[in-house]
Amino acid sequence: MSIRRVAPAAAALLTLLAQPAAGQRPLGYLHGEGPKAWPVVQLTLGLLAIACVVVIVTSALVVVGIWRRRVTDITDIRSVPPTRAGGGLRWIAIGLGISGVALLGSLIWTVVVLAAVNGPSRPTRLTIEVTGQQWWWKARYLDDDPSQQFITAGEIHIPVGEPVRVRLIGGDVIHSFWVPALAGKMETIPGQINETWIEAGQPGIYRGQCSEYCGVQHAHMGFLVVADPAEKFAAWRAAQLRPAQVAVPQQTGATLFVYHCGACHTVRGTGAGGTVAPDLTHLMSRGILAGDVVANTIGNLAGWIANPQGVKPGTRMPAQDLSGPELQRVVGFLQTLK
Amino acid sequence: MADPELERRPEFATATVAYAHDLERLWETSPGIAGWLSTVDHKEIGIRYLVTAFAFLCAGGIEALLMRLQLAGPDRHVLGPHAYDQAFSMHGISMIFLYAFPVLSGFSNYLWPLVLGSRDMAFPRLNALSYWIYVAAGLFMYAGLAIGQAPNDGWYNYVPYANREYNPGMNEDFYSLGMIFLGISTTVGSINFIVTLARTRAPGMSVNRLPILVWGTLTASVANVLAVPSVSLAFFLLWMDRQFGTHFFDVPQGGQPLLWQHLFWMYAHPWVYALVLPAMGIVSDGLPTFCRRPLVGYAPVALATVATMILGFGVWVHHMFATGIPNLALAFFGGASIVIAVPSAVAVFAWTATIWLGRPVITTAFLFFASMIVLFVIGGVSGFMTGSVPVDWQLTETYFVVAHIHYVLIGINVFPVVGGIYYWFPKFTGRMLDEKLGKWNFWTMFIGFNVAFLPMHLTGLWGMPRRIYTYSPDMGWTTLNAITTVGAFIFAIGVAMLLINVVISLRVGRIAGANPWDAPTLEWSVPSPPPPYNFAVIPHVASRHPLWEDRLGESEVTSLVTRGLLLDHGRETIGTSPLDGDPDVILKMPGDSYMPLLLSVGLTMGFVGLLVHLWWLAVAGAAVALIAGVVWLWPRGTLGQRRVRHV
Amino acid sequence: MPRLAHLLVTTLLLAGLAGCGRGDGADIRRIGSARHGAQLIAQSGCGACHEIPGIANAAGRVGPPLGNVGTRSIIAGVLPNTPDNLVRWLRMPQSVVPGNAMPDMELTEHDARDVAAYLYTLR
Repeated sequence: MSIRRVAPAAAALLTLLAQPAAGQRPLGYLHGEGPKAWPVVQLTLGLLAIACVVVIVTSALVVVGIWRRRVTDITDIRSVPPTRAGGGLRWIAIGLGISGVALLGSLIWTVVVLAAVNGPSRPTRLTIEVTGQQWWWKARYLDDDPSQQFITAGEIHIPVGEPVRVRLIGGDVIHSFWVPALAGKMETIPGQINETWIEAGQPGIYRGQCSEYCGVQHAHMGFLVVADPAEKFAAWRAAQLRPAQVAVPQQTGATLFVYHCGACHTVRGTGAGGTVAPDLTHLMSRGILAGDVVANTIGNLAGWIANPQGVKPGTRMPAQDLSGPELQRVVGFLQTLK
Repeated sequence: MADPELERRPEFATATVAYAHDLERLWETSPGIAGWLSTVDHKEIGIRYLVTAFAFLCAGGIEALLMRLQLAGPDRHVLGPHAYDQAFSMHGISMIFLYAFPVLSGFSNYLWPLVLGSRDMAFPRLNALSYWIYVAAGLFMYAGLAIGQAPNDGWYNYVPYANREYNPGMNEDFYSLGMIFLGISTTVGSINFIVTLARTRAPGMSVNRLPILVWGTLTASVANVLAVPSVSLAFFLLWMDRQFGTHFFDVPQGGQPLLWQHLFWMYAHPWVYALVLPAMGIVSDGLPTFCRRPLVGYAPVALATVATMILGFGVWVHHMFATGIPNLALAFFGGASIVIAVPSAVAVFAWTATIWLGRPVITTAFLFFASMIVLFVIGGVSGFMTGSVPVDWQLTETYFVVAHIHYVLIGINVFPVVGGIYYWFPKFTGRMLDEKLGKWNFWTMFIGFNVAFLPMHLTGLWGMPRRIYTYSPDMGWTTLNAITTVGAFIFAIGVAMLLINVVISLRVGRIAGANPWDAPTLEWSVPSPPPPYNFAVIPHVASRHPLWEDRLGESEVTSLVTRGLLLDHGRETIGTSPLDGDPDVILKMPGDSYMPLLLSVGLTMGFVGLLVHLWWLAVAGAAVALIAGVVWLWPRGTLGQRRVRHV
Repeated sequence: MPRLAHLLVTTLLLAGLAGCGRGDGADIRRIGSARHGAQLIAQSGCGACHEIPGIANAAGRVGPPLGNVGTRSIIAGVLPNTPDNLVRWLRMPQSVVPGNAMPDMELTEHDARDVAAYLYTLR
C-alpha cells in the first residue's frame, strides 16, 4: 500500500467534503472563511488528511498481516505450535519514529494557527456584548457614547471585512457561542466574561447555534450573523437606534402589548421595558423568531404568542390569556415594528 | 513457640484426590439462595459483574436506539425534548459508568487470581461489597428513570444547569447521590486490585511476568483511587448546593461554574483511560494466543500502559478548550493531548507486529481483537484532531466528538470485551461458544458499528451539535442521520447475536477442556470451569508463558503447575512480596459472609433516605452499615496471618 | 358569463364533493396545486396554531386541528365548507369573522387556492 498513491486521493476526497455550498449545510465549518476561520479550516483538513492516511496504512497493515499467514482451520489450534520470531521491536521503533514526526509537525502547525487566530490583526472598532440565555441570544452594541448603544436579539449584524470583538456573557446557565463559518466556539459562562472575535470576508447570512447543552430547548437556540457592506450596516445600525413609532390605529395593540408583554419585553418608545426577554423594538427587521425555531411570518408570530409552549416546548415565555381580538391587535402592533 | 500452626511449613507436593476433596469442601459456596447471597468467590462475583454490566449495556442500548429513531430524520416526534434529554443522559451514564468499567471489573475479578496463581482476591468480602454497591447504585440511578425524573444534564452534568434553580426536579439528586454511591464501589474495588497485585500472586510471578490485562487493571485502579475523590466531591458539592443552599456553583453568590468542569474532567479523563487500558490488556493477552507467538514488545506495552495513565492525568483541560482559558495553558494541554498518542502508538505497533510475525488463527475472538486495532486507530486519530486547540474549537460539542467517543468506547472497550467473552467463555462455563454464529456475530457488529459511526464524523464536520433532540431538514444532515440509524440497528442485532450465542452455548456448546485455545497463561492450567479453590497446589511461575515453555524452549527453570505448596488448613492462599513474587506468608482467607450484602443494604437505605429527605431512614441505614462493618471486622483468630519460613 | 361559469363550476364541484366524497384527485386538481399548498402552509407557519397532518412540526394547539377539514360541513363556525368559502377564509379571516384569532395571512388568491387544495386532501 503506497502512501504516495493514497495521499492525493485522500486530499481530493477531503476537498470534496469541503466543497458543498454553505447554503446546503448552514452549520458546516469546512467552508469557513475569513481570517479567523480559514486557517483553522486548513489545519482541520490537514489533520484530517494525516488521520486518513494513518487509518488507511494501519488498516492495510493489519489486513495484509492477517491475510499473509492466516490459519483458517481452527479445529485443532495445537497443530500450529507457538514460536517466537524475532525482530518485533523494530516495528515499534519505526512506527514511533514516523508517528513522532507527524505528531510533532501537527503540534507545531497547531501552535502557529493558534497564534494566528488569537486576535485580529487590526484594531477593532466595533464590540458587541452577546449574552446567552435560555434559549435565545441578546446582543448589545457597545459604544463610548451611551446614546449610541442599543440592544437587539437573535440577529447580529456586522460590517463585512472588519474584525468585530464579541464579549460573551453567561445570562443564566452555560451556553456556547458558535458561528461555524466564521469562528470556533466560545462558551458564555455566568460569572466570567469571555472574549472572542469574528470577521466575515463576504457579505452574507451566517448561521450560529448554541453548542453547549443548556436545557430542553438547546436544540432551538440558533441565531444569525448578518454581514453587510459598511453603508448598509451603518443604515441598519441607525435604524436600530430609533425608538418605535406607534401610529394611531395601533394604540390599542400597543397598550395591550405593554400590559401583557411589557414586564419581560422592551419596545423602546412604549411603556414596555422588561429586560428578561428579547428586545422587540425592531422585531420586523428580523427573519427568525424564538431562537430560530420558526421564520418570522405573521402566522408563526400569532401562533407563537397564542401558545409559546406549542411552538417551543419548555420555553420560558408563558402563554397569555389573550382573546382573539386582543391577539389581532397585539400582532397588528408588532407588525409595525420595522 | 508451642503453637504448631505458627511453625508450620506447607508441604511441597502433588495434589491427591483426598486433598482436592478437602479443598472442595473448604472453598465451595453453600448451595441455594443462602450461598448466592453470601458468596465471596471471585469467579462468581466476576460473572455477576459481567452479567449485570451487560444488562446495563442493553438498557443503554435501548436508550440509544430510541434516540436514533428520533434523529433518523428531521422534525420527528418519537421522543419529546424532556424524554430525549433523559435518554441521552442515561445512555451516557449507563454506558460509561454502569457498563464499560464494571464489565472490565468482571473480567479482572474473574481472571486476576487465576492468571496470578492465587486462590482469591486479597479481600474477598470487599470484592462482594464492591459488586453489591455497584448494583445498588445502578438501580438507584435507574429508579429516577422509572419515575420520569432521570438525570437530564448529560453525563458531564454542567452547572449551573444542574443547579436547583434551573433543574428543580429530583433528576439531578438521583445523579449526585448515585455517583457518590457508585464511587464507593469503584474505590473499594480498586483498592482490592492494588492490594491483590501487591500480595497474592503465585511464587515467581514477578512484575515482569504479569499479563498485560493485570497491568491495565492495576493502572486503572491506581488512577481510580486518585481520581474518584474528585468526582465524588463535585457531586457532593452539587448536592449540598441543591439541598442546603450552599454556594459552590451558585454564581450570584460567588460560585464558580468552571470549578465543576475542572473537578469533573480531572476525574473523567483518567476514567476514560480506565475504561480502555484493561480492555487493551485483554487484546494484548488474547491476540498472542491466536497469533501463536508471544506479544511483541511486552515491556514497551506495559510501560506504555502506565505512561498513558500518567499523561492521562495531564490532559483534562482538553475538554475545556472553549471556556476562555488563556492560550498559553491551552497550548500546553493541547500539546499533552497530542503527545498522549505516543504510548497508544506503541500498543498499536506491538499488536500489528504480533500479527505479522505470528500465524493468525482466525477465530471469532481473534477477529474481535484484530478489528479492535483498526477501530482503536480511528478513535485515536480523531482524538488527536480534537487535541489540536483551534480545530477543537470547531469540533467540540459536535457529532465529530460523538463519533470519536464511540470509536473509543465501542472500539476499544466493547470489541475487546466481546472478544474476551469468546476467548474466556470456555474457562467460565466449560463450553465453547459457537464459532459459526460467532463469525456472524462479529461481522454484524463490525459492519453495523462502522455504518453507524464512520459517517457520523462527517455529520459532525457538517456542524450537527450534540444533544439536540431534533433538527430541521435544511441543515443537510438528513441522509447521514438515516444511515447512522440503520447502522445502529444492525449493531444492535449483532449484540443480540452474542446474547443468543451465550444462551445456546450454555446448553449445547462443545465441551471445552482445560485449555481449548492452547493458551500460554496460568488460568488455562486449571479445569474449565475452575474449581472453587482455583489451584489445588499453589503454582510456581518461571516465565511469562508457563504453558508454552516446553515449546518456546526459552527459560532454564520451568514453571510448576502440578506440584506446589499444599495449603488446606482452612481457606488459605500464599502471600508474596510485591516486586519479585517471593512467598512470605500464608494468607488466611475469610469464608462466605452476609456482611457485604448487609452493608450495601444499609448504605442503600442511607442514600434513599438522603434522596427523599427521610432523615430517620438515612440514620437507620448508617446504623445498619455500621453494625455490618463491626461484625465484618470483628477480630477472629482463624484469620491471623502465618509467616512462612524457608518455603 | 364568467360569473355564470364560475357558479356552474362551483355547483358541480359542490355536488361532486357532496356526492362522491370531497377531495377526489380530479376535483382537488381543479382547485389548485396541493403540493405547492403544502409548501405554503409550511412557509407561512399555519402549523404554529393548527395540527396539520403531513406538514412537519405542524402541531399547534391554538386553533382547531385540520386533520379532517376536507370533510367538515362548516368552516370558521360560519361558512359552508365550499372551496370558494375556504379560499375566502384563508385570504381574509378578519373580514369573515372580525376579531377572531386567525390573522390575515396575506395570501394571494392563487396561493390561497393551492392551500385550500392541500386542505381538501385531509379527510
